[in-house]
Amino acid sequence: MTVTTGRAGGVGPQVAAAGHHRPGRPRPAWHALTGWGFALPFVALFVVFMAGPVLASLAMSFTDIRSADLRDPLGVEIVGIDNYRRLFTDDLFLRAAGNTAIFVVLGVPLTMAAALVVALGVNSGVTRFRTVFRVGYYLPVVTSIVAISVVWRFLLQPQTGLVNSLLGLVGLGGPNWLNDTHLALPTLIVMAAWRNLGFSMVIFLAGLQAIPRDLYEAATIDGAGRWAQFRYITLPVLRPTVLFVAVVTTIGYVQFFEEPFVMTQGGPLDSTLSLAYHTYNQFGFGNYGYASAMSYVLFLVVVALSIAWFRLLRSNT
Amino acid sequence: MNGARARDRTATVVLHALLAGGLLVMVGPFVWMLLSSFKTFGEILRSPPTWWPLDPTLDNYSVLLGRLDFPAYFVNSTVVAVATTAGNLLFCAAAGYALAKLRFPGSRLLFAVVLGTIMVPGIVTLVPLFVLVSNLGLVNTYAGLVLPFLAQAFGVFLMRQFMLSIPDDLLEAARIDGAGEWRIFWRIVLPLSRPPLATLGILTFLASWNNFLWPLVVATTESRYTLPVALALYSVGQNRARYDLLLAGSVLIVVPVLVVFVLLQRHFVRGIATTGLK
Amino acid sequence: MKRPNRQAVALACALVVMLAGCGRGSDDPQATQGEQVGEGKATGEITVWAMGTEGEKLSELAADFMADNPDAKVNVTAVPWDGAHNKIATAIAGGQTPDVSMLGTTWMGEFAKTGALDVVPGDIVRKDDFFEGAWETGVVDGTSFGVPWYVETRLLYVNTEVAARAGVTVAPTDWDELKSAVQQLQQQGGAQWGIYLQPGQTGAWQTAMPFVWQAGGEVLEGETFALDSPAVTEGLEYYASFFGEGLSSKDQLRGGEWEPEFVKGTIGSFVSGPWHIGVLDELGGEGKYDLWPMPRGPQGATSFIGGSNLAVFKDSDNRDAAWKFVSYLMQPQVQIKWYQTVSDLPAVKAAWDDPAMQTDPMLKMFGDQLADAKAPPSIPTWEQVAAAIDGELERAAKGASSAADAAKAMQQKASSIGTGG
Repeated sequence: MTVTTGRAGGVGPQVAAAGHHRPGRPRPAWHALTGWGFALPFVALFVVFMAGPVLASLAMSFTDIRSADLRDPLGVEIVGIDNYRRLFTDDLFLRAAGNTAIFVVLGVPLTMAAALVVALGVNSGVTRFRTVFRVGYYLPVVTSIVAISVVWRFLLQPQTGLVNSLLGLVGLGGPNWLNDTHLALPTLIVMAAWRNLGFSMVIFLAGLQAIPRDLYEAATIDGAGRWAQFRYITLPVLRPTVLFVAVVTTIGYVQFFEEPFVMTQGGPLDSTLSLAYHTYNQFGFGNYGYASAMSYVLFLVVVALSIAWFRLLRSNT
Repeated sequence: MNGARARDRTATVVLHALLAGGLLVMVGPFVWMLLSSFKTFGEILRSPPTWWPLDPTLDNYSVLLGRLDFPAYFVNSTVVAVATTAGNLLFCAAAGYALAKLRFPGSRLLFAVVLGTIMVPGIVTLVPLFVLVSNLGLVNTYAGLVLPFLAQAFGVFLMRQFMLSIPDDLLEAARIDGAGEWRIFWRIVLPLSRPPLATLGILTFLASWNNFLWPLVVATTESRYTLPVALALYSVGQNRARYDLLLAGSVLIVVPVLVVFVLLQRHFVRGIATTGLK
Repeated sequence: MKRPNRQAVALACALVVMLAGCGRGSDDPQATQGEQVGEGKATGEITVWAMGTEGEKLSELAADFMADNPDAKVNVTAVPWDGAHNKIATAIAGGQTPDVSMLGTTWMGEFAKTGALDVVPGDIVRKDDFFEGAWETGVVDGTSFGVPWYVETRLLYVNTEVAARAGVTVAPTDWDELKSAVQQLQQQGGAQWGIYLQPGQTGAWQTAMPFVWQAGGEVLEGETFALDSPAVTEGLEYYASFFGEGLSSKDQLRGGEWEPEFVKGTIGSFVSGPWHIGVLDELGGEGKYDLWPMPRGPQGATSFIGGSNLAVFKDSDNRDAAWKFVSYLMQPQVQIKWYQTVSDLPAVKAAWDDPAMQTDPMLKMFGDQLADAKAPPSIPTWEQVAAAIDGELERAAKGASSAADAAKAMQQKASSIGTGG
């Protein structure tokens, strides 16, 4: 199949250059029907199982609903934006917001860059053991977070941990990584990058397949170096993929939860408390209205950041 | 020429070395987890930690498999994960294609809305979703386990981004040749989308297989538990965690995911059509 | 004949109580006793949720119950502890609750407030059968919504080798003696840390509150918080002093990290519950440790009491049989059998008098401590207040604030959270 269309595609470019619209064909209406037709199963499931609960929880954020009201949810009071206003006088919320901001600003570029480098390396530089590398770099993503936390805590132990032992070999004294209020968050950032690298790598790998090899060959013949090839061939074609990875990684990091939950429980002294963790705690306390408001503030932050990414990396299509 | 080739060779060796070094760091904890699943509780907690088990034992596995009704939970997890993955692949590819290539009224809005929901933290919809599923009578059913995750906004976003790079003229040519839209989708678009489909398959399968909170909440009898729920049952107590069982359980649960990954990552190959373009 | 008469009386009582309790709204618990369950065998299906090991093994006791009540069928669903709170909350929201559920003692206030729990009937259990602290965990706003099933309390574990080296041969009886014993464990016993106390973060209050209670402090006085009282401050000062004097590590150590250190003798002692006996034995510590009771502070030698309760849901369609099952599990013989099956300490006092419970000296020490053990107030907002207390405990333990300031901060935060009443 692909071979046939490939040949047909070879004819394509000249035809396309003439423009999309052909006179006499009922294009717009047909497209509308087909478009919605293809999207329908998704949209139906989406409206029922996603849009509904999202709207309900948004409504919750404007009330004072608590877990005590679960049996009689309609009997709660509407408090308007009171929950939202309260957030900004909540010390823990502000602390968590600061922690999360640091986490995102440092973690997202680190993870994306590392993932891209590895993807490029595994894709083009390595010919043998490609599967081994792909599986290996993806392993942290699938390994249970509990197992990961046990191992990392061993690694980071002040006296007997591997990290400090290695530092000791070069004569440096290693600090108490997870119990130091200034070092705990950076440590978690490194750990999160380590863990999530595989996720982005897999997507970059998929994206790299869309770049035709002969483009690189032509460029090499023309004398373009590796870096120029990367800038002018790889990156542009990879743009939609990079946008995707950027948005999804940002969303993931704004909502970072597992690392502090499992490694430090938000400590020491709330230095690793993330917004998502604080929200989780509030849901646990039964403060559904307040926690929903917090979730939607998180949402707004993510929307703002995503819009920024879209502006930055918008495809030219 | 010799110089360039030698340089290339060194570069490749260095690259391999660096990647291999990185690989060790990546794979280390997993290997430790694997080896430690054969250790006793006491040895797992030893400090400094050991690599190879001093006194290897199959006890952790035999206890887990003996107490767990492993086949039943495995079947549940498999049914749910496979159904969710298959459904997502189909529905997200279709919707992603529509958003990427078929200009239709409301597509911009739909994309924005879909994108927006990815950004909503999952936990906020837990209670309303459960109430909904309960009202639909789907508690403790496979449908209740699968339906809420059958159409992931994330998947539509992924497919749309990848499908943007499918050449329009390819589709036009097919239309001119008289092919119907569904045929175009099935015969041209999908085969060209093997890499993102494989990616989505891996990610969806992983998320579904490891999903803990929703199956916990939806199942009211143990017969509908999935593996992560069952494993948590036997390894985490009110005041302590059975690390030995936890690690063995973690290994059991990761094997199918790795199998799926290895199978699907073969599809990370260049679509042949793209090589025909100038 | 005796039985019909008793039944008639019971029925009449039930009728009276029913009429008295008629029209009861879900948020004002008027009756302090639920309608009576009456005599007779249980019938029909009873669905039960229980967490962890209890969930696994309960079917063994259920089989005995079904032998006694052939028309009844008990279905036990085991639920993981991880996420159990979420599961019960969503079940309440979606109207999918079982007949009976096991609930953590600190969850009672919150779930009772939802109105989903049935009031404990007056005829199946008596308050005096249970340890006072345990019974109180099920009482919310003066009404009893849950029955204690099993309990746990906290004692001091000490490494006997370290103690022998330090010359500490007798268990300390009061605060001063405990402090000096810990100092000796560290200075002469060769331990790096004389004691391990939790320096804040989740659950630290369970280790710290006993010292507060020993000083005479209380979380709640009537309807208001009393966390800034001099007694509370005194208790906190004592607790924080262990950190300040370098007797306990200020690092947050996770379960599994410090137990091997205790067995090795790096840590001289710690505070915990009965489950650590099994953990230490598995780590090769059998015979290397001993138990000390809680020391006597200015106002007593109180410890913390925890465990789990059993509650029946209002939406249950087999309420009477459900309560009968609960009542069955409260019989002393059944409580003893349960201890022998899963090592959970009986909540029923009479069970402890049985010879089967007298053979193990460590067990006996837990039993003795249970007579003087308290639980925090069963208010709906307890989890949130506890988190605030944990946060301030951390600051006090790590020296970021003084005990007095920490107490004041706790009071201020707790007051703004409210009692949820």
